[in-house]
Amino acid sequence: MRITAQAKTATRDRILAVAVELFREQGWENATTRDIAAAAGIANGTLFNYFPSREAIAAALLEEAMAGSDVEFHKRRTGNESLAEDLFLYVWTGLKSLRKYRKILAPAADAIFSPLAQPARQEAGAAVRVRHLEALGQILAEHGVPLPLPAVLLQLYWTLHLGVFAFWAADGSPHQEDTLALLDRSLRLFAGAFLKEAQ
Amino acid sequence: MNPKLDELMAAFPPDSDAETEANSAAAQLQQIFADLASRPVPASSLHRLWTIGGLSTQIALARLSLWMRGWFANADEQQRQAAETNLRVALKIFHRLGYLRGALAKLGQAAGDFPQVIPAQIADTLDRLHFDAPPMHYSLIRELLENELGVDWEGRFQAFDKQPFAAASIGQVHRAVLKSGEIVAVKIQYPGIARTIDADFRNLSAVLFPMRLGKSWDSVKEQFEAIRQMLQQEIDYEQEAQSVREARAIFANDNGIVVPTVFGAHCTKRVLTMQYLPGRHLPNFLATHPNQDLRNSFGAKLLLTWYRMHAARMNYADPQSGNYLFLDDGRLGLIDFGCVQHFTSQEFEALRLSYLSDDTIPETVRELLRRTCQASDADLANEEYLGLMNDAIRWMKEPIRHPGPFDFGDEEHLRRGLGWFGRLIAKRYTRSDPMFVYFHRSVFGLRSLLYRLGARVDFQTLPIENWWNPIVDRP
Repeated sequence: MRITAQAKTATRDRILAVAVELFREQGWENATTRDIAAAAGIANGTLFNYFPSREAIAAALLEEAMAGSDVEFHKRRTGNESLAEDLFLYVWTGLKSLRKYRKILAPAADAIFSPLAQPARQEAGAAVRVRHLEALGQILAEHGVPLPLPAVLLQLYWTLHLGVFAFWAADGSPHQEDTLALLDRSLRLFAGAFLKEAQ
Repeated sequence: MNPKLDELMAAFPPDSDAETEANSAAAQLQQIFADLASRPVPASSLHRLWTIGGLSTQIALARLSLWMRGWFANADEQQRQAAETNLRVALKIFHRLGYLRGALAKLGQAAGDFPQVIPAQIADTLDRLHFDAPPMHYSLIRELLENELGVDWEGRFQAFDKQPFAAASIGQVHRAVLKSGEIVAVKIQYPGIARTIDADFRNLSAVLFPMRLGKSWDSVKEQFEAIRQMLQQEIDYEQEAQSVREARAIFANDNGIVVPTVFGAHCTKRVLTMQYLPGRHLPNFLATHPNQDLRNSFGAKLLLTWYRMHAARMNYADPQSGNYLFLDDGRLGLIDFGCVQHFTSQEFEALRLSYLSDDTIPETVRELLRRTCQASDADLANEEYLGLMNDAIRWMKEPIRHPGPFDFGDEEHLRRGLGWFGRLIAKRYTRSDPMFVYFHRSVFGLRSLLYRLGARVDFQTLPIENWWNPIVDRP
């Protein structure tokens, strides 16, 4: 029996939806792919046709949220932002879009983004990384920063971004205001470094 | 290919400091102070951000460190080294990122104002910090307003200026127009400041207190606590709104002194919305070359503000030029009520005694010193101590006793005041009721303002209600 594209999409969406619930209820560590498949009403093997790993599921959630945040970012932009402000707006809009997953994302991100993660897991995180850095490149280009950026600078930026992400995931301050301050400070620093590069 | 360590380090501005060990908050603060004391505060924002660390970011450090260290658990040595390189660089960046607008900036301001409490070297260094704090950009402001006033905050305003028109040490002020048409000034606090000030102040106490062991130890502790409490008050904009309302009631029937209306429905602990007053701060006012009559008139209003608030058991305790507006119609605007003392009955009595003290009536001075400075019989027998206190009182009363208009623009007068104050500090005669920490600050702040204004004021013509003693004449 052939499965239609529509049915595939529906199954994929169902997997993501139940995965979120299970991550939330059981925690990242305890929710297995077997649990997710069972909750989605599909065979374990079928789940792997959609997502090769639990990390891939989390990465898909991240990617979907990021797609939404890209739209929001462009909507909120006025066109008069400085580079630091644009970077702030981009990263913070991204974090806001992930707010509903905040509690489950810290351990998931640890598994996905660790430089020591297994190749399959790294692959799941790589798409998110590439997407984020591409958007970053676009913003930088709009502010006259020549591309490509030196690998060193990109590496530092991504490391710091993950640090901010980790901080945000565990931020207990009201409205995650500590992250707001941290992000503002760190992105001013990077905007300065990027602009120095442009000179 | 992963970059090498030296490439990573070279990508950022040079930093000669040794790695800071996270032994204790006090040790870290000491490190920061040593760092600040040994070199000038850099001018460029990038370098400044790199240089100035903040204790609050230690929270970030701890969390980030824990999270990232988890990565290394099963790594071999080479991988561990590579990953730790990244970690070290990231940690160093985090360490150097400070809440520039936070406790350090606020303490810098306080330190400059209270030389009797905070060592001069630290005060000098900190005092420079708050002048060049970077403004918050609109994207951040929008998030903060969304958090404080709700996602539909924009619906409250007809217009909202994206650029601030004034900076505050822990926030900034934007002009806006409410839906109802009123032009308002919206003061917005930098995120996280309230909690960081408290934490950083505790750490500062840990560093400072051991330096101050001596007979005035308890007094210094109390004075320090008074400063801490005032800073706590200053970061609570709801409390400031209440002080504005109280002050507005005091000056409700005064045509010459104006306190803005508070729009309570648009206020929170971090956002203060008040009527916008169009006027000039002192430097801009002086740039218009006002004539002497106008200077005198504003001088009289500055003094009236002081006395009337005292009568209402309050003190406008931060009389710096940014907190006053000189309006074109001749009115004086009072616009910042973060730093306002509210006297308890005991403090009000101490204030009354200080009003009544008279260096020509020794018993009034002794009474004041006994009751507000815990002076012992030995202290009162100490001629040097008594002499300095008499100098202080004489200086305070000088403009009042002067026949006719007193010239506050007389540099010699201000110099004499700073002289006795300096001698009191040098001799460590600083024991006093903690309320006098802010009281003296306001005395010098006001006299400095009047000096800059070059005002001449005849006290006999000021409509001051004698609340301190109906029998005795004005102070």
